[in-house]
Amino acid sequence: MQKQEAEKEFEKHIREQELLLRKVCRIYAYTDADREDLFQEIVIQLWKAWPRFKGHSKLSTWLYRVAINTAISGLRKKKNFIRNYEPAAMPEPVSEHIGVDDEEERLQLLYHAIEQLNAVEKTIVMLYMDDRPYEEMEEIIGLSQGNLRVKMNRIKEKLRELTKNY
Amino acid sequence: MELDDLKPTWQKSQPTTTSNTDIMQLIQHKTYGPVAALKKAFRKQIILMGIIPVYFILINTNDLPHVLNSVILWAYIAFCIGVIVFSYYNYRMVTKMESMDNLVKANLEQQVNLLETRMKWKKAGLVIALAFFILLTEIVPYFQHYRMLDKWHALHPAIRFLIYAALFALQYFANTWVNERRYGRHLSYLKELANEMH
Repeated sequence: MQKQEAEKEFEKHIREQELLLRKVCRIYAYTDADREDLFQEIVIQLWKAWPRFKGHSKLSTWLYRVAINTAISGLRKKKNFIRNYEPAAMPEPVSEHIGVDDEEERLQLLYHAIEQLNAVEKTIVMLYMDDRPYEEMEEIIGLSQGNLRVKMNRIKEKLRELTKNY
Repeated sequence: MELDDLKPTWQKSQPTTTSNTDIMQLIQHKTYGPVAALKKAFRKQIILMGIIPVYFILINTNDLPHVLNSVILWAYIAFCIGVIVFSYYNYRMVTKMESMDNLVKANLEQQVNLLETRMKWKKAGLVIALAFFILLTEIVPYFQHYRMLDKWHALHPAIRFLIYAALFALQYFANTWVNERRYGRHLSYLKELANEMH
């Protein structure tokens, strides 16, 4: 009975925050199939960690932590230890994505530029774009706010460089 | 392109993959990740190493006193116990790696640290196991299995020790190759990310 209640409560929270989790999958996995695998793995990890969530931090902060750790540490349905290094699974270069007429296309261009960043940079830029304050970013990543600001400025430069022709 | 201008569009955007996933069903699944696979492998290793000596004794029940006096059997049992202890240690170690609710930086550092420690212990364990079997091969024929004295021990000691040295070298290269294949790239990737955190 108690387990059922816990499951229902968990499901309710996951449904509410599904968009957040899907965005994490969008950032860290390159294909739809990989994103589904990652989403599944994240939900399983969240469920396993759920009894340890005591509400000391915001639920979204905790969800980000588990989701990002799962995505970065490679708990993925892959042979051996994660990471698909096959060329076909790597992101296409930004230059192959043309057409930045409207906001949606610019957003797609940004996503493709973000794919060129490393996992730590992806984490920072994703949280920044989700409008998470530096204080919360510090609680998720574990880097000082000053360090995060410096890194964010460098990432902005990098993304400007990657998209400068558009 | 200015990131701040795109923030509202980013926040409004819906992900492309919005399949109607059944969360309740998802949580009934087992994790397929490498940590889970490693745990499963260690569990199997523990069970197998527990079963084999018992099986060996059972199929030799006709000649039990002789079997129980065999130094090789006891050495093998000692080896199995060693493997069980090592597998259990590894099992505990990968269980720690499963915890995903730490800070991202702490989690990365922990993963790097645990993987490096595991690789170091594995390296040491293999050297000890090989040295143990070499010692056994060299000593046992003087007490039991005397026929070995006419075969293996009939070889010139220099040749025998050259072969042992070759075994150590082979073991070293094979272990390095396997480690690189199974964890090497992942470990380098994690280390690179951990360095990014400074």
